[in-house]
Amino acid sequence: MRKNRFWFIPAALAAAFLFSLAAGPAGFSPEIIWGLRLPRTLAALVVGAGLGLAGALFQGVLKNPLADPYIMGTSAGATAAAVLCFLAGVPRTSPLFFLAVFTGAFGATFLAYWLARLTGRLSDAALVLAGVAVSAFLTALVMLSLSVARERALSLFYFVLGGLYAPRSGVLAASALLAALSGAAALARWRALDAMALGEESAYHLGIDPRRERLFFFVLGCASTSAAVALGGTIGFVGLMTPHIVRLLSGPSSRTLVPASALGGAALLCAADAAGRTLFSPSEVPAGVVMALAGAPFFMWLLWKSSRGRA
Amino acid sequence: MPVLRASGLSFSYGERPLFSELSFELRPGDFMCVLGPNGSGKSTLLKLLTGYIRAASGSVRLGGEEVSALGPGRLARLAAYVASESSVPYDFSVMETVLLGRTARTGLWRGYSEGDGRAAALALRETGIAALAARSINTLSSGERQLAFIAQALAQETRLLLLDEPTSHLDLRFKAEIMALLSRLAARGLAVAAVLHEPGVARLGCTRALTAGAGGKWTFGPAAELLRPERLAGVYGVPPDSPLLA
Repeated sequence: MRKNRFWFIPAALAAAFLFSLAAGPAGFSPEIIWGLRLPRTLAALVVGAGLGLAGALFQGVLKNPLADPYIMGTSAGATAAAVLCFLAGVPRTSPLFFLAVFTGAFGATFLAYWLARLTGRLSDAALVLAGVAVSAFLTALVMLSLSVARERALSLFYFVLGGLYAPRSGVLAASALLAALSGAAALARWRALDAMALGEESAYHLGIDPRRERLFFFVLGCASTSAAVALGGTIGFVGLMTPHIVRLLSGPSSRTLVPASALGGAALLCAADAAGRTLFSPSEVPAGVVMALAGAPFFMWLLWKSSRGRA
Repeated sequence: MPVLRASGLSFSYGERPLFSELSFELRPGDFMCVLGPNGSGKSTLLKLLTGYIRAASGSVRLGGEEVSALGPGRLARLAAYVASESSVPYDFSVMETVLLGRTARTGLWRGYSEGDGRAAALALRETGIAALAARSINTLSSGERQLAFIAQALAQETRLLLLDEPTSHLDLRFKAEIMALLSRLAARGLAVAAVLHEPGVARLGCTRALTAGAGGKWTFGPAAELLRPERLAGVYGVPPDSPLLA
């Protein structure tokens, strides 16, 4: 019998939010809290929600507990498109910027999926390998661009590393809207996601067109990843870890998993960002680095678990 | 009107024909076993019948409707399918799993209605696993798990039930229990087709049989006739006096 501990997730979110407002070397003056920490905390919430949501969608639609926008190359595709936009001078608040980032995310995801599918059986590990290959190539492209664009490279470098600094309110609002719309659309069709989590053949026999649903949830997963990357650069492992933690608390059904992964991802990244500001104060560790420190061992544990039959 | 009518079905993997001009029909109350050696196309046949794989030529009609003209939503209201082995990486409860059988009836944008809950509860009672409703599907024994996926198929409320090796990997008690359940379902008017491996199991209730033959030539007929050891010896390539055929 499963206990429903859904309430834990909003509680963790509230705690992470307060921690993030309080954390940092500069103390508690109202200007610091409202002027600096609140926007940054909001950015962490939006980025975390977008990534947590994307992880839940990819893990469900692919029936693969290792799926995640970072591992599958979605984030790398979005980052590469964003960097190209910066270099081309496309303003970060323009719809063209978001469209380009989404195109990069979607292209990379489908490429990784297609490569994994070439192996015949779409196994969990094949998707990870294909994602690693796509990510490596796109990251090399980004590094190439950074090497060429010398004078602007430093600010781009922080973007690529994955950090939440001073978000512009226009980007923050656009990303929040995009992530919210993706979440609402996914939640409205939660049952198709549950059916896909039983496998494409089972989903077909339950009355669902697997190709259509795969496309639908890929689009939503890429859109919410794009919202996250446009705001916070490349941050890994939020999408991987969040759904696994959330399933332990409130079960695997997408009806709760989709909203809970968005809330849980927001809480997780918000806490990671605040921890990055606190741990080595006054030095600051980017949120992406904190997440990788926590997430990579988690990923190894998942691999070990899935090699023993079930993840 | 037959629940299922296959006529002139042909399908091959590469050069090797699995089915050549296969025709048969199932009526309400028929319980058919599909028997043949490994690789003869038993599982493929079930997927041809549900439209998951499309035949090279010939036609499959479910309740009078041509399968190739229908989408998955309509097909899932005409035929339910239980896969041979379905691992689920996430710990769905038995109830959640069975309710997913209502997907084709409810549509995707709405929640479950009271009627969906009743259909799922009925399917759980009919398969005898109502007590397991809250358990995770991954904590069940193989037999209980098979019953849960049969319950999911029953929740679809179709007139045709197709099962791929429903008794493989099960102990004798569960083999008997599954066969008794499928016989009861046929007796209440469903048409049931199951891929089976053991003639002894097939004799527990099957009324019709479809057996593999060389060159994609299958034989369809009454189970009592086709399940005789001397006929099965030819199907499997074992001596007619082999105890395996008893």
